[in-house]
Amino acid sequence: MRARAAEILVPLAVLAAFLGTWEYAAAAGWLRPIRFPPPSRLAGSFVDLAFHGFPEGITIWVHAAITVQRILAGHALALALAIPLGLLIGSHALLDRMTAPVVAFCRSVATLSLLPLALVWFGTGEGAKIFLIGYGCFWVMLSATIAAVKLVDPVLIRAARTMDTGGWAIFLRVVLPATLPRLLSGARIALGVGFMVIVGAEMIGTIRGLGSLIMEARTFYRTDITMVGMLCIGAFGLAAMAALEWLEARLVPWQARAEAQTR
Amino acid sequence: MAAAIEISGLAKSFAHDPGPPVLGAVDLGIEENEFVVLLGRSGCGKTTLLNLVAGLETPSAGRILVGGTPVTGPGGGKGMVFQQGALFPWLTARRNIAFAARNRGVASAEADRLADELLALVGLAGAGHKYPFELSGGMQQRVAIARALALDPKILLMDEPFGALDEITRNEMQDELLRVWAQRRKTVVFVTHSIWEGLILADRILVMAPRPGRFVLERRIDLPRPRRRSDPALIALYDEIWACLRGDA
Repeated sequence: MRARAAEILVPLAVLAAFLGTWEYAAAAGWLRPIRFPPPSRLAGSFVDLAFHGFPEGITIWVHAAITVQRILAGHALALALAIPLGLLIGSHALLDRMTAPVVAFCRSVATLSLLPLALVWFGTGEGAKIFLIGYGCFWVMLSATIAAVKLVDPVLIRAARTMDTGGWAIFLRVVLPATLPRLLSGARIALGVGFMVIVGAEMIGTIRGLGSLIMEARTFYRTDITMVGMLCIGAFGLAAMAALEWLEARLVPWQARAEAQTR
Repeated sequence: MAAAIEISGLAKSFAHDPGPPVLGAVDLGIEENEFVVLLGRSGCGKTTLLNLVAGLETPSAGRILVGGTPVTGPGGGKGMVFQQGALFPWLTARRNIAFAARNRGVASAEADRLADELLALVGLAGAGHKYPFELSGGMQQRVAIARALALDPKILLMDEPFGALDEITRNEMQDELLRVWAQRRKTVVFVTHSIWEGLILADRILVMAPRPGRFVLERRIDLPRPRRRSDPALIALYDEIWACLRGDA
């Protein structure tokens, strides 16, 4: 119990010390507020964004809701395509050898370098943004799925075969559950990629979304709003990760508990 | 007695592996309810022989009859216990055992009842709700044995099932296996590289040598069970098998 409390209190104390130093440094004139707006100023900006919005009328809640929607749509689309395809590739050694260079190549392409192409293909509307997020998530999820299938312990499949299990039953009752833990952690990593891509994806063709909020603020030298936008994305990212970890513990209890035991 | 397993001219070599075959042409007949131990160092072909009988590998030459029927693939009442247990980590002990029973057409409720009965048989009554990672290595192997028995197999193939256990647990598991085997008579083919394990368990020990994998010594042990390691007859056998494995014979 004491260790648990320390686990929470120590990071909080570090954070408080950090914010306190920052605030003091700004008040003492060591930091220029235009470059490093102090925490008190950020809090004020946040309240302002929450009630009035920036640009006027578009509150931070609207920005956040749109951003989260885009990330979830891109992520869901990527998973829907990557999981079946990854299961297929992972189960066929020849297919895996044929596609491995393509997967490695496409994964390495920086997603945002595709922004100009995405605009040509999908225009400046929602399509381009969801495509970019989806692209980033897709390749991560695809390689995670392929690896998950290849890492299924072959002795489990042999054991199933000695129990009159074959073909589709092996796939459904052995391969799928065996890959589930790695699929879930792959989905979690892919979601993280979505949060990394979002700001760039929202740079063009929209005034709504946390990414566009950050970019709009820049043109008005509102560094405070840029920082609030960043913090919001970070907070949502953190919450999304926590939610997926919770889901993992529920869906694959054998894995979560096995890990906790070896920890 | 009827032959439970009949092996004739059985050979196995792997395409990617030049040199002498993993298993030369071997012949072996195993009687119903006989407990046969295959003993030898790593790479002598004992596991390959077991996999061939299980139908997990296909022979390069020769044939295998189980209960008078040629082996064409795994399943069909050939229960197998692997060294690593090979339990499904996402299923509880009870569901692991029921998995085997349901695959031979046993209804769900009946499979659960059978699973509980077999858990009790292997000394794990009340542990049915536990996941494999919550069980010790020895307990996992008990579940694996129960799972193989849930197939209601004619033969039980065991591939170094206690090889990963510490010696104390291992000795306990040997006693456990004999106790279970006394209650559910099966034809058992048991692979090990422990001479004492073979001496404690077997009706018949076959010592194998590698490349090509072949039988180099065959000894029948008619001593009653449980056997004591201090038994002079067993010690004499130990010396003889050890000399053979070392290559003196």
